[in-house]
Amino acid sequence: MRVSFPYMGSTIVYGKLLELLGHQVVMPEPPTRKTVDLGVKYSPEFACFPFKVIMGTYLETLERGVELFVTTGGQGPCRAGFYGELHKKIIQNMGYDVDFIVLDPPWRDYEKFFRQILTLKGDNSWFKVAEVIHTVYKMCKSVDIIEKLITTVRAYAGDRAALNRSWRDILTAYSQIETARDVARVEEEALRVIEKYDIKLPPQEKRIRIGIVGEIYVVMEPSINGNIEEILNSLGAETERSLYLSTYIDETIFPWIGRKEKKKLIKKASGYIDLNIGGHARLSVGQIVDFKDRGFDGVIHLKPFACLPELISESMLEKLSADLDMPILSLSIDEQTAEANIMTRLDAFVDFIKYGKAYSKERVSLSV
Amino acid sequence: MSRVYIGVDIGSVSINIVAIGEDCELLFRLYKRNTGQPVELVKEGFKELQKELGAKKEIAGVGVTGSGRQLIGYVLGADIVKNEITAHAAATTFYYPEVGTIFEIGGQDSKLIIIKNGIPVDFAMNTVCAAGTGSFLDHQAIRLGIRIEEFGKLALQAKRDVRIAGRCTVFAESDMISKQQYGFTKPEIIKGLCRALVRNYMNNLVRGKQLEPQYIFQGGVAANEGIKAAFEEELNHEVIVPEHHDVMGAIGIAILVKEEMERTGRGTSFRGLDFTRDDFYTDSFNCAGCANECEIIRVKANEEVIAMTGDRCGKWSGSILNVRDSEEKHA
Repeated sequence: MRVSFPYMGSTIVYGKLLELLGHQVVMPEPPTRKTVDLGVKYSPEFACFPFKVIMGTYLETLERGVELFVTTGGQGPCRAGFYGELHKKIIQNMGYDVDFIVLDPPWRDYEKFFRQILTLKGDNSWFKVAEVIHTVYKMCKSVDIIEKLITTVRAYAGDRAALNRSWRDILTAYSQIETARDVARVEEEALRVIEKYDIKLPPQEKRIRIGIVGEIYVVMEPSINGNIEEILNSLGAETERSLYLSTYIDETIFPWIGRKEKKKLIKKASGYIDLNIGGHARLSVGQIVDFKDRGFDGVIHLKPFACLPELISESMLEKLSADLDMPILSLSIDEQTAEANIMTRLDAFVDFIKYGKAYSKERVSLSV
Repeated sequence: MSRVYIGVDIGSVSINIVAIGEDCELLFRLYKRNTGQPVELVKEGFKELQKELGAKKEIAGVGVTGSGRQLIGYVLGADIVKNEITAHAAATTFYYPEVGTIFEIGGQDSKLIIIKNGIPVDFAMNTVCAAGTGSFLDHQAIRLGIRIEEFGKLALQAKRDVRIAGRCTVFAESDMISKQQYGFTKPEIIKGLCRALVRNYMNNLVRGKQLEPQYIFQGGVAANEGIKAAFEEELNHEVIVPEHHDVMGAIGIAILVKEEMERTGRGTSFRGLDFTRDDFYTDSFNCAGCANECEIIRVKANEEVIAMTGDRCGKWSGSILNVRDSEEKHA
């Protein structure tokens, strides 16, 4: 069966999972302007931005003969939980003959979940399934480690274009792995390639580190958030996101692994947001506090225009920024976002952090 | 020969050029309406600058800011190209070391900058709506048949208050029309509009932020006495409009370039005043290198490519030197 899935973050990971299970995978392309236009055209106007982009991706991949889309549902009071069903309805109404598997958390309906897993499992043995999941999980962790390294050293790279090309080659190498041993080999190779750039990190007090939090889709997908990490890197700031694919997997598929981290973040969010209001809103707030605790210099909060949970966390930012004495910039992203506008804000944001650092250093020397 | 530093601010409504000397003293200032051909306007501006400063001055650095900074930065061979928020903060903290809050309202955007101990710490910029910015006021002045320069003064003559909806430009306009039809006078309507704009600014930009004096009001709209009065009424405190409020962005970027050149000691990369005789133009093509299909914008000076931008990966913008071969490969 020709299978595809929404585009978000390191898609090679989902692709790999389905491919190793013996499905014929139709890899979605990164969303472009055209994808967004197509998605906007066939989506309800007030659906949030990720819905529209995923809609566009579905319609583009459908042209390449997809028979089944696999996507995830959601839990809690965020409307993204309904999006799988809504996409299905709209696409089927448009006359396409395509099936959907919307994976909801298993504890909501064990029987349905089991049936869906059986479809995806196909003729593979359970042993094979376990092995594939193990390999893909390892790969996912490994890709995230390398990506974090890239977004750190890229802030100081002399030839960023070359580094970006190497990063793309590394991802291609990952997409060709077959076993867990391949993952280790590709990771070593990747570390060697990055080392060749011989990028030296400046002393701790001179480094500018910016955390990125917010709604998962706009945080994880560079083609949607205007490559925000790369822009910040080019302004001389290192970046780290609150969400990587492996964090997301830990959180949703292996909750027992992610539980400790989640508990810690919920505790840090207490006093600001004490209820699960859907999406990542409560965790976003916890992560902002966490970034401060880890010595980051600023946080950028991203939300798709009309995202309900993140709109609530946004209203906490003023207070958080004052309490933590850390600059926080909130950006709203959708099809209307002008790149020049975002660039101006990011440029000013990094400048202000630089001024603040220079000033606090001066103050220290004055007191000595 | 004494050194001068040039600051250029390419805004949506105006193009401003200033020159400052070694002590940041203002030697030249020009405020020009942006009629949509920034390169030509900048050329004319530099001709005026040359005439006024004469040959005794050496241009030691050029900085460009404003929404059109990228293109003009390439054209001039600027030493720094920086956002207008930082530039405004630099100018204001120079003239008013005690500043706490900067209100900047320009042609198409409004900004709020918070300063603590002379260091900019926070900012906000209008997001969804342009209500309350210069172009909207321009439009309303034309509709009421009043010169924009007279607009603010008129507000001060109002005897009564009338409330105008300021949330959105379209609603503000229809509300103004209906209040006119009820028989309110022009000054009253303008005063209502000024207060609506300030209210809008407070709701959209200030939100919960703590504002501290001194309050400095700058940008093209600061010439409007009605808005200044409405700010003072809202804050219940004096609001200062700097003498050169309309070119503060250009002054700021000139100060920043001066600091940069003095700190690094490098020579300027300015193309030289002869650039006014060069031909500049831009074209674009779609890169076929990957699925992103970025639109690459190419800036040429006399047929020679001087800059490329618009690529997400840095393939074109990062490699002006290799432009020729990569273009061949592309073809």
